[in-house]
Amino acid sequence: MRFLRITSLFALLALGASFAKADVAEGEQLFNANCTACHALNEKVVGPALKGVNEKYDEAWLIKWIKNSQAMVKSGDAKAVKAYNENNQAVMTSFENLSDAQVKSILEYIKTPPVAQAATTPTGGGVTTTGTEVAASAKDAFYNNTTFIALSIMALILFVIVFVLYRIKQTVQGIYNSKFPEQAALEAEPTVDVKTTWKYKLFTKHPVVGTIIVILGFTVVLGIYGFNYGQTEVGVQQGYAPAQPINYSHELHAGKYKINCLYCHNGADKGKQATIPSASTCMNCHMHVTASAKYDGQVSPEIAKIYDAVGWDSEKKAYDPTKQQKPIKWVRIHNLPDLAYFNHAQHVKAGKVECQSCHGAVETMKVVYQQSSLQMGWCINCHREAKVDVDNNDYYEKLHEDLKAQGKSYATVSNIGGLECGKCHY
Amino acid sequence: MENKNKYWKGLEELNNDPKFLQNKRNEFAEGIPLEDVLTDKDGEMTSNRRDFLKYFGFGISAVALAACNKAPVKNVIPYIVKPENITPGIPNWYASTNPTTGVSVLVKTREGRPVKIEGNPESPLFKGGVNAVDHASVLELYDNERLQGPKAEGNQVDWNTLDGKITKGLAAAKGIRIVSGAVNSPSTKKAIAEFTAKYPQTKHIVYEPVSYNAIIEANGQSFGKAVIPGYQFDKAKTIVSFGADFLGTWISPVEFTKQWVKNRKVGTTNNGAKTMSRHYQFESNLSLTGSNADVRVPLKPSATSVALISLYNKVAALAGAAKLSSPGDVEFAVNMIENSAKELWANRGASIVVCGTNNVADQLIVNAINSVLGNIGTTVDLDNYSNQTGGNDAAFETFVSELNSGAADAVIFFNSNPAYNYYAADKLIAGIKKATVSISTNSVADETTALCKFHAPDNHFLESWGDVETRVGFIGLMQPTISPVFNTRQASESFLRWSGNFTDYYTFVKNNWTAALGGEAGWNKALHDGFTTSMKTPVAYKTSVLPQDAVNAAYQTYTANKDKVELSLYTKVGLGDGRYANNPWLQEMPDPISKVCWDNYAAIGKVTADKLNLKDGDVITIKTKTGVIEKIPVLVQPGQARDTISIALGYGRTAGGRVGANVGKNAYTAVSFNGKTYSYTAADVTVEKTGDGYELPQTQTHHTIEGRDIIREASLGEFVKDPKAGNHKHAHIITLWDEHDSKGHRWAMAVDLNSCTGCGSCVVSCNAENNVPVVGRQEILNSREMHWMRIDRYYSFKDAHGNKVTREAGLAGNMLKGKDESLITDETDFENVRVAFQPLMCQHCGHAPCETVCPVLATVHSSEGLNHMAYNRCVGTRYCANNCPYKVRRFNWFKYRENDEFDFYMNNDLGRMVINPDVTVRSRGVMEKCSFCIQRIQAGKLQAKLENRKVKDGDVKTACQQSCPADAIIFGDVNDKNSEIAKLFNNERSYVLLEEYNVQPSVSYMTKIRNVEEELAGGHTEHSTTAPGHTGHEEAKHDTAAHANAEHAH
Repeated sequence: MRFLRITSLFALLALGASFAKADVAEGEQLFNANCTACHALNEKVVGPALKGVNEKYDEAWLIKWIKNSQAMVKSGDAKAVKAYNENNQAVMTSFENLSDAQVKSILEYIKTPPVAQAATTPTGGGVTTTGTEVAASAKDAFYNNTTFIALSIMALILFVIVFVLYRIKQTVQGIYNSKFPEQAALEAEPTVDVKTTWKYKLFTKHPVVGTIIVILGFTVVLGIYGFNYGQTEVGVQQGYAPAQPINYSHELHAGKYKINCLYCHNGADKGKQATIPSASTCMNCHMHVTASAKYDGQVSPEIAKIYDAVGWDSEKKAYDPTKQQKPIKWVRIHNLPDLAYFNHAQHVKAGKVECQSCHGAVETMKVVYQQSSLQMGWCINCHREAKVDVDNNDYYEKLHEDLKAQGKSYATVSNIGGLECGKCHY
Repeated sequence: MENKNKYWKGLEELNNDPKFLQNKRNEFAEGIPLEDVLTDKDGEMTSNRRDFLKYFGFGISAVALAACNKAPVKNVIPYIVKPENITPGIPNWYASTNPTTGVSVLVKTREGRPVKIEGNPESPLFKGGVNAVDHASVLELYDNERLQGPKAEGNQVDWNTLDGKITKGLAAAKGIRIVSGAVNSPSTKKAIAEFTAKYPQTKHIVYEPVSYNAIIEANGQSFGKAVIPGYQFDKAKTIVSFGADFLGTWISPVEFTKQWVKNRKVGTTNNGAKTMSRHYQFESNLSLTGSNADVRVPLKPSATSVALISLYNKVAALAGAAKLSSPGDVEFAVNMIENSAKELWANRGASIVVCGTNNVADQLIVNAINSVLGNIGTTVDLDNYSNQTGGNDAAFETFVSELNSGAADAVIFFNSNPAYNYYAADKLIAGIKKATVSISTNSVADETTALCKFHAPDNHFLESWGDVETRVGFIGLMQPTISPVFNTRQASESFLRWSGNFTDYYTFVKNNWTAALGGEAGWNKALHDGFTTSMKTPVAYKTSVLPQDAVNAAYQTYTANKDKVELSLYTKVGLGDGRYANNPWLQEMPDPISKVCWDNYAAIGKVTADKLNLKDGDVITIKTKTGVIEKIPVLVQPGQARDTISIALGYGRTAGGRVGANVGKNAYTAVSFNGKTYSYTAADVTVEKTGDGYELPQTQTHHTIEGRDIIREASLGEFVKDPKAGNHKHAHIITLWDEHDSKGHRWAMAVDLNSCTGCGSCVVSCNAENNVPVVGRQEILNSREMHWMRIDRYYSFKDAHGNKVTREAGLAGNMLKGKDESLITDETDFENVRVAFQPLMCQHCGHAPCETVCPVLATVHSSEGLNHMAYNRCVGTRYCANNCPYKVRRFNWFKYRENDEFDFYMNNDLGRMVINPDVTVRSRGVMEKCSFCIQRIQAGKLQAKLENRKVKDGDVKTACQQSCPADAIIFGDVNDKNSEIAKLFNNERSYVLLEEYNVQPSVSYMTKIRNVEEELAGGHTEHSTTAPGHTGHEEAKHDTAAHANAEHAH
């Protein structure tokens, strides 16, 4: 009985613990989804660092604040006004869609972040790469270097051996020749009939065949070389990952902070170009986010490049009209030739294609590279397979009816003329 | 054989000209340019096989080397601060107004640069129409020869320095003269008024090289309103024009075409209408308007006054009004004048008489006729008058003498170029040199600017703010669509600066309008719309002024010049008075009638040419009493009045840009001043043959289609009886091919031959939209023009007895003489020509002959009924062009971009700014052709998908359709049963070209209906014995010019 009681107590405790744990997990999720654009736990980003916020304010106040901070500021809440002014009067987004329970779980998460999370961000390293990754890449480089050196040494040794053996053979031959001159002279004479050699057969007896074979050989070799050369050097740039003027990481922005692709590339659902964001778009966040914690209170040198481009004075936190604005010259990675017309809106909005389908998992790329070949065959393949969303777009009303009449459930892009030349070439 | 009109491409075809026959036999109109590659400059074929091998070897190694280029690093440079409403890749449209023509336009900009001009469909005057000149104006913005900044005495200075020097000079001047064309901007007028207030010694001289002074003067005398009236051709059932080319060049051609065509559409195109206006044209040169008239009477310039007097007398007789006592009539035209008088009177109040001469007495008679007919206040609107043009000829004459006498010592040429277009240029140039202050605001270093001490270059209108009062009560607004490309300043702002007003011009214009438009919101709305209108209901005016004193002189001029050769000067649709000469698009646009580009010529009728012993390409010198036009080539022009020579003004520029310089001959030297106004005709000229020859670049005979039945027409009477009149003949069709399955869209086009005036607006629109290159004079001579659409012009002739000249009749007659001989008989009447226009672009055949012969499948059929052309697949065999029955495919003989041999605009960075980024710029060695503006189709479909809806009729408009001032082209999806195209594609008038081939074109044409009494369709319809009801005229025998002319000829 006593045992039972103790067991049930433990069970209850465990249950409670697991509940608490669930809270924290949900909180982490919500925190990452809603807060990370402006907040970090241990570092001031756009908004202040959130560690210790639970001690500073009571829970009810915090819930109210998170749900609508501006209302509190306007109502004249002393603490709210103070907090507002402390943070350069940056307006915090209202989260009225969050339930009280959800806010509580976020607060729970802030209070007790999981150990791993705390460990990986000891310096509040939003901007830096994490330690393990640095190690991994260093290891990579090391590995590569040692392999190269080891192979080089081995090659050198082998070369020396070959050289020594050759010398030995020469010496032995010399000795043999001097000891048995007649034998050696006999051996030196050609023992085979010249007419049976392949060279004779090919080039003297059948010169045409020989020439053709040689030309064919050249063609094959040069062709293979040329094909590769052509692919890599003339247009096809799969894997192209040029250095950019600003060391911008999609992994950080799109991966870690989960900023929507369309936030920056806002033309992608509107028109032909996805558009590279203007520097003013960067400034929406980087007006506040300086990653200074990483650089001893200095602005990150990469972010400083944006400031330089737009003429922003990071000391005064204001645009300096005396500074000349300089456009940022990004290096274009995805180059479609002018003869092919590609429209982002057609694919992103009308076709509902994920960005990643063509661009790869950009959210994992520290340096963006061209994942797809962008060759016509690649386009065509997708057009053969991709289904047209006939159900949800009135444009396809007639097609939808036709399909129904035929008893088909879908049409691919190729079924509606997606393979025709003039769809892309005009 | 049925009694059907036969159409001819030109005299070359009718004449079986050897060159024409040779062209006909050639597989391609264009030659193979091997010689260009292999010959030396002198044109001799000096190359041999070894040279060929050298070139060949070099070619291969060059290709190999070129292939070694690594793909270059491309940068992408985003905005620093993105403008709110610009998204790269999405065009922005702005409403504006072209100040030179007054036309309301929409400007398409891409990433902040204007690339295309379209009409503003909401504009009540122009209703979306634009002409070639408006289309081409965007290219002038990117002219790299524009003045790049202010200059003082030959040195580049900044604006402040210039202003300082100018104001100092002006303050010291005794007499300041501003010389400009008609100023139609209220704000500019105000700025000039401020200038005049500051410098009271200023006079503003309105000088138009092609002057409308006589109309203004006559209206002043007749009605006390010295203005150019607004005309309402849409309200006219009978139109009589004496040499006024109102569809082509006269005052406001876009507006007039929109109006005129309203009463020309019949049947399905106009809610089943069965009536048409009737249009009489009396003129000496075959103009665009004349070629569209129902009845055209060739008339010498010296006979115009007498013809007008007889028309007045005949109308007055019907009305019982006072007559002019005239000694006689123009004998040969008297019947036509009689007919037109009857019809005018029958439609009094709904008729119109216009006259294109710059002679006050003529215009007074026109006013009297319109007044007697009660047209003033209905079709002639003196209240909402036009500001588009003007002229004060006497004032300019005074100015020239003042300049030479020193009474005027400071002159500002405000976008005016009299050193080129004034007939006594030497006198003017001497005067300008004497002036202490001479300023030019012209934007290029033209003839006048070169003489001026100070250059204050004006902005292009696409860089400017402004207002344009096209007609009183109709204000078009201008807004900049790009910041100034060069360091230029709007001329109106310059006037403000010089008068000490430092307001920027935007604020100045805005302040002028904000109150009148009801505040900021009203201003913004007007700017958004591009115009604001407050036109009044016109009032009727009467006049009793009759120029009796001019009658005898007119009759004497007529009789004295009966057998003498006369000269008449006219302007072309493309180049106008010469201000557009530096525009390669307009230079390359073929003249609507002669199809000559890059040149002007002396147009002479066949009979006169024979009399003077002249033939095509002879070079002549023409001497008038006051001037000489030297060394101009002859073009034998059907329809040209007997004993007249017509020459286009606007050519022979010597400065102002590399494109226009030394193209054609300057004919302004033959203009004269008659004491009141400038005269653009000269009686009793002498013609001297120089003995030289010259080949005119003419496009018409390049692509012959062997005289097949491609123009179908009927008279209105036949059409009323049977809407299918003229369109009964349909081929028995067999096919080898399977039908295409087109379930989605099926794009098609209908062309109403009845509406098309042949003005060429669509051709230039197509050039701009589809990056069609300009090839230049020599390449046109080589038959290598690149235009994706052409407007074929066909002539039909009659002999002196009124019988049609047909090949059948000709062949029968020629059997005795042998084949290939001329069909021209002594009796062929070349003046009495009937013209038909037919726009021809790729017909997007269902069973396209080009597709079956392409060895690399570069041209293939689409599921939407289009004939696709993949340039990068094309290897240039040209089989497709050979197999095309319509000859609409064009081959890129050269790389026309980045090639200094084609020094027009595609070889410089600025010029290339005009290129449409949605359309590939084709390279050498590939075939191209009309794509039905597939980029617009794709854009229209995408827009529908993004908005989650079906494509609406009218979502997709081709460039040619959108700009057509006559709405002759209709495009759409025939599978959409409610679309306009579905109704027109298969209506009773529709036919496809060369139906017997069963290539199933996607373009259908609608029969041309002419409002004449004779039978045109023949065959299937019964002879009409009664005239169509609405006009109530009679005597069919009098109704054709043929008969009238026969009398003249004998």
